This record gives sequence, structure tokens and C-alpha cells, in this order.
Amino acid sequence: MSSSVSRPYYPDYLAETPTKHHFSPYADNGGSIVAIAGDDYVVIAGDTRLSAGFQIYTRQQNKLFPLTKTTVLGCAGCWCDTLTLTRLLNTRMQMYEQEHNKTMSTPAAAQMLSTVLYYKRFFPYYISNMLVGLDDEGKGCVYSYDPIGHCEKAKYRAGGSAGALLQPLLDNQVGLKNMQNVQVESIPLDRALSILKDVFISAAERDIYTGDAIYINIVTKDGIKSDSFPLRKD
Amino acid sequence: MASSERYSFSLTTFSPSGKLVQIEYALAAVAAGAPSVGIKASNGVIIATENKHKSILYDEHSVHKVEMITQHIGMVYSGMGPDYRLLVKQARKIAQQYTLVYNEPIPTAQLVQRVAAVMQEYTQSGGVRPFGVSLLICGWDNNRPYLFQCDPSGAYFAWKATAMGKNFINGKTFLEKRYSEDLELDDAVHTAILTLKESFEGQMTADNIEVGICDVSGFKRLDPSHVKDYLANIP
Amino acid sequence: MTQLNFISFQSILSYNGSAMVAMKGERCVSIATDKRFGIQAQTVSMDFPKVFEMGPHLYLGLPGLATDIGTVYEKLRFRKNLFELRENRRMSPQIFSAMVSNMLYEKRFGPFFVEPIVAGLDPYTCVPYVCNMDLIGCRNEPEDFVTGGSASAQLFGMCESLWEPNMGPDDLFETTSQALINAFDRDAISGWGAIVHIIEKDKVTTRELKTRMD
Repeated sequence: MSSSVSRPYYPDYLAETPTKHHFSPYADNGGSIVAIAGDDYVVIAGDTRLSAGFQIYTRQQNKLFPLTKTTVLGCAGCWCDTLTLTRLLNTRMQMYEQEHNKTMSTPAAAQMLSTVLYYKRFFPYYISNMLVGLDDEGKGCVYSYDPIGHCEKAKYRAGGSAGALLQPLLDNQVGLKNMQNVQVESIPLDRALSILKDVFISAAERDIYTGDAIYINIVTKDGIKSDSFPLRKD
Repeated sequence: MASSERYSFSLTTFSPSGKLVQIEYALAAVAAGAPSVGIKASNGVIIATENKHKSILYDEHSVHKVEMITQHIGMVYSGMGPDYRLLVKQARKIAQQYTLVYNEPIPTAQLVQRVAAVMQEYTQSGGVRPFGVSLLICGWDNNRPYLFQCDPSGAYFAWKATAMGKNFINGKTFLEKRYSEDLELDDAVHTAILTLKESFEGQMTADNIEVGICDVSGFKRLDPSHVKDYLANIP
Repeated sequence: MTQLNFISFQSILSYNGSAMVAMKGERCVSIATDKRFGIQAQTVSMDFPKVFEMGPHLYLGLPGLATDIGTVYEKLRFRKNLFELRENRRMSPQIFSAMVSNMLYEKRFGPFFVEPIVAGLDPYTCVPYVCNMDLIGCRNEPEDFVTGGSASAQLFGMCESLWEPNMGPDDLFETTSQALINAFDRDAISGWGAIVHIIEKDKVTTRELKTRMD
């Protein structure tokens, strides 16, 4: 498995060439993350299936990691890297708190994540990360990353194994792309949640690495609320 | 030496009068063969033939003259048995090839056309002779019955009813008198047996005739017990 | 030699880039395609035909390698015309797709790099039909929609959410267009304009869509 995650993958058409067998430090454990930001909230959801190839390790793996009271990280990809990265991040969050006597802001956490990822530029964490939270003005924001720390701030984002399926849908339904006579304005929370559930239902139809259920975190100024929603389990 | 014989030394070659005598000989072989009859009814089509054996030692109902080509097409012949078997094999192959390509049963008209093309090829190729058979091909598709005759020349005809083989002229005359458009399948079987009986020598039994029926449910050869029931109604 | 390809090359099927979708509606079907022809990341043309009219109610889409698109189209046109002359009847979409599948499998070990999509109405009963297949002719005849090309993953996501049963021709047009445009906007090697055909019993409506050209 090499470089980019978003590249189309046709397992059936790969040419059979002589292969050298050696240890691979990476595994693709699948999973999808979707996040949508509003004016005073941000929601992030990750499916709960943890898999490798045609095997399902568990159907109830939470892939969302609250870093502070207003920041949540979602991870999809190599699960062992996720574990290591989140442990490292939690440590770094604690160190920041002790050194600066305050909780790290979401934009600061986003910048730090980028640095942490780039630190391993030549042996990357094989994860699509999505960091969400409230910024300094209390507005919802989404930061998405490639495995080596390139960071982009957005209003909505889909990542992970069903990222390619879901991103155009979000463009259309949240970003109102290719719509005529519409005013682009931020969407209310209930609409965001219903889109979130709809897109995951669609992803579970077509992506074998996404399914079972989703965990949802809703971040507002009052803190993080958790929710879940069942998906198809086949 | 009759002039026609001069051109019959090898393959199908035109005689100066424009005849292909080999084909005429083939037709003669057909006309000398066992009679067979086909009749279209309103709700299906039937084919029937004589299947007489020279010895009482012969095991009837082992080798058949009426053969299924696909679910919805059947075939019978007058003329030479061995030639017929080759055509049955070819016809079945043509039908399966069609299904392979189009995922659909072959229309009867298509099968007839392609079998006729095979027969024509044997009138124009080197080192071969024409088939000594005429075929009756019956089928059901497009929600209607079909009945075709295929000659050694490769010519084919669509009939409402026809007779081939020994005494076919009498058979046809008989059918012309008996045929009506709104015949039902049962009546058609009855008429076909009567037509065969016209020229039948000896006692007609369920063991020396064969009947095939094709309707919306497909093609089937009647088993002897079934034929017996029809024979019971024959005067 | 180290070569840095912008679009990392891995499948001949996405060498030229394409996005294609067909959907079933209520007594109508749609088929839509992008118009781009490129060589990997370099766009060469923005008006490249990939969907072909094979009959009054029968359309064929050929996403895949551009050189094979022309060849496969001509071969299929030949076979279809021959069939219609020989049998003196229209070819139904079912028969046509069976023939396409059969032709592709003839080249099982040296395939044409196209993944055809067939959309149409039955010439006699007008029942909608859509079908796609892989490059060696394995057919898929679903009840809803089919996708193809380098943006097929994006199209799957769009169609799976937007499609609903029994859409009329207008709804079907809107759904197909939105699915296609939003899908190829997220694929770097397809887009640059789109064509949508809506096939109904007594008319076919072909519309060209204005899209973002980047």
C-alpha cells in the first residue's frame, strides 16, 4: 500500500506481477469519517466497523477521540497508527495544559496535529484524520489532513474508505454546489445530523469497510454530546 | 446413357439444362423415405412420422426420429437417418450458440434459416454430397406456432400443413381436404395420424409412429401410451 | 528512472478519465456522460463522445480507454445492424447487452479496456433497462442505476442518496445531472461538460450541461 488514500482502487484489475513478500508495517482497517460545521456547532461522525480485507474485527469501534471539551479528532485508516497517534496527542495536550495553564484551542490543536504528522514524513501515520471543534469565536470548524500533515480547513468534509463516495454528496447537499438560485448559508444542526445519517446509510450500501453503526459527536459551547445510529451490518 | 448421368460423376455440377441432378437425386431419396407430416393448429403445431421396423426383434423407442432442438423447437425428417442425425447435431449447436450470444432462445425462423444454410453449403462444397433428407421443423415463439420444411437444396418453406416422404402427394391432397385454420392441437394430432394412415402398410400402433407436439409450454415427443390414446380414436 | 506522475498511473481504464451514469425511472431511462478526453492529467479535448445512440430507444456508453471506445462502438454497431437485418426486428436492450457481454468475453485474455453501460427501453414493451459490465463482460442488471468510469466511486455515493424509484422524466433528468456533475467535480480526470439523454417511449431528450471547466 503506497501514498494517497483517495486514489481509486480496483482490486480486480490489478495486474499480476511477480511480488516480493516482505513485512508490511501498515494495515488498512477501513472506516469513514464525516464532519459538518455550523455557526455555533460542529458534528463529526465515524462508523464503528473495524476491518481488514474481508474480516471484521469488531462492529463497535469508536473512531472519535475528544481531545478537549471543544475539540474532537476522527481517525480512519491504519488502526495501530491511530492508537499511537491519539496517545501521543493526548500526552501533548496534557503537556500544553501543564505548561501554559490553559486548554489548547481547536486551531492550535489543528496546527499541532499537522506538525506531529509531518514529523514522521518518511514513515507516516497511515490515517486520514479529521479534527473538528469550535474556533476562538465559537464557530464550528473542520480540519482535514493527509497522512503527512497537509491540513485544510473546511466547513464540511468526508474522509476514510468511503470518502470518495461521500464528498461529492456533501458538496451538493451541504455546500449546495451546482445548484441554481440558492443562497449558501450555514445549515442548522438538525439538518446537518439528518444529512450525516443519510450519507452514512448510502456509504454502508456500497462500501464494505463502512457499516454496522455510527458514533456521532456534537460539539457546542456546552461541551460534547454523543449519539449513535445503526447502519446495515452486512 | 441418359444425359443427366453424365454430370453426376462427382459433386453437384450443373447440367447443360441448368439442373443440379445430385439435388434431384437427393429429393428422390427423400421421396422414397418414410412419410412424415406436420400440421399447424391454432394453439400449437405437431409433427408426426412413420417409424416402422423390419424385424420384430428391433427395440422400438430407443432411437427416435422426432427430436427436440431447443425447449421450444422440434424436428423430424423424411429420407436418410444418418444424414438427419448430423443435422440434428448442427441444429442443436446453432441454437445453443445463439443463446450463448444473445441470452435468448433462438427464433424458429432463425434456426430454419441457419440449418438451411448448412444444407445449402453441402450443395456447393467440394468433396461432399447433399443431404438425403428433408426436414420438418416446428417451433413456438412470438406467441405463435411455426412449421417449416427444409429441403436438401437449402430451400425452405413455411407451411400450415404438409407431408413429405413416400406418398407425399396423396398426403398433401388429404391435408388440403382436411385442413382448417381453427384446428386445435388434439384435432391436429388426429388429422396427422389419419394422413399417415392413408399410406400406411400394415397395422398402425403406438410403436411404429412418432408424434411431436409444440405449444406455448415448449416441445415434447409424445410417449407411446399417449399416442395409443390418439390411436384409439382412429376408425 | 524516477518519474513523478501527477495522477498516479495504475489502471488503463482510468488513463483517459471518464464519468458515466445511467438510471431507471418510471417508463423512462437516462444515460449521462462527461465530455472530457485527456491523457492522464492533461486535458486534450472537451467534446469527446462516449455515449452512442444504437437505436431509437437504445443507448450505449463506453467509459474507459479512448482508443478502445471507437473500436468497440464500431464492432457493436456492425453486429447490431447485422442482427437487425438478419432477423428483421429491433434489438432489445437485453439482447444487445448480452451481445456486448459475449463480444467482450471473446477477448477474455486480451480485453478491450472499456466497461460498457447499456440503457434503453424495450422496443415492444417500453420497459426500462440499464446494465453495466466489466471489461470482460460480466453483466450487472440492477433495478436502480449503474455507474462507470474513473469517477464511479463518487457516482455511487451520489446515486445511492439521490436515486428514488418511479421518477418521471423531469425528475430523472435533474437527479442524473446532479449526480454526474457533483461526482465528476470531485474527480480530477473527468468533467469538462456533460451530456444527458432522457429516453422515453416517443422521444429522446438530449441536453448539454454547462459545468465548471477546471
